[in-house]
Amino acid sequence: MRYPRVVVLVGVAISIMIFAISTMLYSRSSLSDQNSSKLDTVGGHTPGYPILQTTGDVLDPTSIVINPKTAVVEPMKYLREFNYGRISTSSNGTVIRDFTLIASDQQSKEVSPGVFYNVWTFNGTIPGPTIRAAEGDVIRITLINNGTKFHSIHFHGIHPSEMDGVFEGIAPGGKFTYEFTAEPFGVFPYHCHMQPLEEHITHGLYGVFIIDPKQGRPQADEMVMLMNGYDTDFDTENNFYTVNGIPYYYMHHPIEIEKNRLIRIYLLNMLEFDPLNNFHLHANMFDFYKTGTKLIPDEYTDIVTMNQAERGILEFSYKYPGKYMFHAHKTEFAEKGWTGLFLVKDGTTQSVNENLNVTSIRNITDYSTSDFNRSTNHVPTGGVK
Amino acid sequence: MEREEGNIRNTHRISKRTILFGVVPFIVIGAMIVLLLNSPGILFQSSIKPLPEISIEKVEFSDDTIVAFVRNTGPSEITIAQADVNDRIYPAAIEPGQTLTRLTDARVIIPFVWNIGEPYSIGITTDDGTRFEKTINSAAPAPRPTVGQASTFALIGTYVGIIPVMMGLVWYPFIRRLSPNKYNFFLSLTAGLLVFLGIDALLESNEIAVNALAPAFNAQILIIMVAIVSFISLLYVSQRLIQRASKRSKPDIEYKTGYSSHSEPEPDLELSDTRTTSTSIQQQLVIRPIAISMMIAIGIGLHNFGEGLAIGAAVLLGEVALSSFLILGFTLHNTTEGLAIVAPMAKSRRIRVTKLMIMGLIAGGPTIMGAWIGGFLYSPIATIIFLSIGAGAIFQVVYSIGSWMYHTNGSRGLLNNHSIIIGFAFGMLIMYLTGLLV
Repeated sequence: MRYPRVVVLVGVAISIMIFAISTMLYSRSSLSDQNSSKLDTVGGHTPGYPILQTTGDVLDPTSIVINPKTAVVEPMKYLREFNYGRISTSSNGTVIRDFTLIASDQQSKEVSPGVFYNVWTFNGTIPGPTIRAAEGDVIRITLINNGTKFHSIHFHGIHPSEMDGVFEGIAPGGKFTYEFTAEPFGVFPYHCHMQPLEEHITHGLYGVFIIDPKQGRPQADEMVMLMNGYDTDFDTENNFYTVNGIPYYYMHHPIEIEKNRLIRIYLLNMLEFDPLNNFHLHANMFDFYKTGTKLIPDEYTDIVTMNQAERGILEFSYKYPGKYMFHAHKTEFAEKGWTGLFLVKDGTTQSVNENLNVTSIRNITDYSTSDFNRSTNHVPTGGVK
Repeated sequence: MEREEGNIRNTHRISKRTILFGVVPFIVIGAMIVLLLNSPGILFQSSIKPLPEISIEKVEFSDDTIVAFVRNTGPSEITIAQADVNDRIYPAAIEPGQTLTRLTDARVIIPFVWNIGEPYSIGITTDDGTRFEKTINSAAPAPRPTVGQASTFALIGTYVGIIPVMMGLVWYPFIRRLSPNKYNFFLSLTAGLLVFLGIDALLESNEIAVNALAPAFNAQILIIMVAIVSFISLLYVSQRLIQRASKRSKPDIEYKTGYSSHSEPEPDLELSDTRTTSTSIQQQLVIRPIAISMMIAIGIGLHNFGEGLAIGAAVLLGEVALSSFLILGFTLHNTTEGLAIVAPMAKSRRIRVTKLMIMGLIAGGPTIMGAWIGGFLYSPIATIIFLSIGAGAIFQVVYSIGSWMYHTNGSRGLLNNHSIIIGFAFGMLIMYLTGLLV
């Protein structure tokens, strides 16, 4: 029994080594609970799903409020902010509206909680500011290119060739004023039209342009919604889908509306890469005015599907108070950020926070709910002031 | 230094100077590091942020949660921003925290009601929007270290490791009765089997290195490195074993005649440098086969440990559905390993059954331990290391068999003997064919 004894020794040595290595590797990858004092909650939005307590960090765009200082846009402010320009009148009485848009392409901003992306913007936000005029007004938009690439603005609508923003790009540091008469009435996109077009659009150079009919539209609580996405890893597939720039924003900040009040949404789809996108309203139906170019609705429905640059006007009012979802009924988009809530109130004033189901508000020091309530001073317009 | 107290001053001074000369380059390197780190931008400047890289090393499915183990394998610190299941964003927790320094890891816990047997891809998005993904072909509950699960793994290990090796050992009497030429055939067949096993282990560890480990680990180099080190160190150990056995050739003969091993003195553990020059070739020929067999057993044991790790990990990761057919395939495949152990011993003296059994256990037993560790504490790097050690061990054994056959065949040479060539080819073919079952 000579060899076995040696071999037993070798065997024991090998097994000790094996255990030492594997426990070492394991203990390196196993986790030490460091600060057990801090406990955050994860989950709880989905019925039947477990709610976790964690000593670590929470990754949850559906409940984490993006830091407004670094966010690419404040969706609550954007929702009801219409820009009418600096108004003057020409000798023949025509209203002239002057706007300034500054293009930039060097900033890195937060597009979803914790996710930073090189955004290309008009006036620093995605979507760019909503430009609004009445049919027949003269609009003058000065584009200042603060970026490092050529940019332009291409408006949809009727205008002369040299105002189309396609063949003349504005060089970095350059400046150009687009001037044309606003026609016809409706909802239009504007966007940069430099090559590669896909690149300039997917990085965020777009916004909504509204031309009101001369006689105006009925009084309503008006809002603008732009559907978009972000391809943050450049694989020509969107990683995030949003309405008004930040995924899931209106989930933790529901849009407050009043019961029985007419709501008008100017809706535009600027989603790149995916052939279509849509808007579905819960527990309600809406009148849909395709492209907004007619005063008679085209459809009475609860869903509308659009290709890129397609748009329209939605009109509805809620009969019952409560929380109602709206989202893309392409569920992939819904589950990657394009989901929001309306909070229909009974007319009595009630704090938003009571109805919020925010499980975790982090990284926020100076954020108060009054910031988004304040937006009411932009609200109820029946047309151009 | 204490030991060197008796040294004369002169040598002491020289050794100090030697140390100084040895240290100078380090001082220069240190100065360079200080210069480079304290003058950012002066020498090398880049406005481009290095690309982040994380690897999702393991995904575990348990009661209504999916846990992904992620490691920062990129060049710089990263922050993880989001998690998704099948490319749909879900709330998740990350422990210990979402910021990972280089090569550290974290657990991403996603509350999710998953379905057994369905594929899932788990995505992790970093703060610059890059998404990393790992796909699990078939979700299965992660094995828990319970007695039941441990005995299941033990049973798998027994079927895959111990039983086939023992079955192979049963060929011992058969091989003993073969003519020298046929015996050569079986020996070279063994070499063929082992070469196949070794290549298989290298390829499998390469596969793990490519699929489960980030390039930051340089795992492919590690495989070659570990295999080479394992080869040369086992070669050294086996030479020592043979040398020692040769030295103690006298008790060996006693053992052969009287089986009085119990009265023997304990083997001298300290290896002496004095070579026994008087050892005759004949004695060597008696002793070497058993040493070779033992080395084969150890080599196969190491290999089977790696194989156990891989099997346990595959069960854990839901990559294989355990079935009787799969186990049967492994059993048939590994039966040849027992044959490999007995073949070199067949022409030496009689060997005791207990000794055979011990060799069988050494070769087969580690499978169980491997399955436990692989199944409960999966670590791709450990799997790679053990598979490579096994590969090195196996190639060492092939070398030993080859050199032994060369000596016993005298001047005929190895490649002039058709039964050796055919046996070698046939050995690899057997492994290939039984491998198709797995």
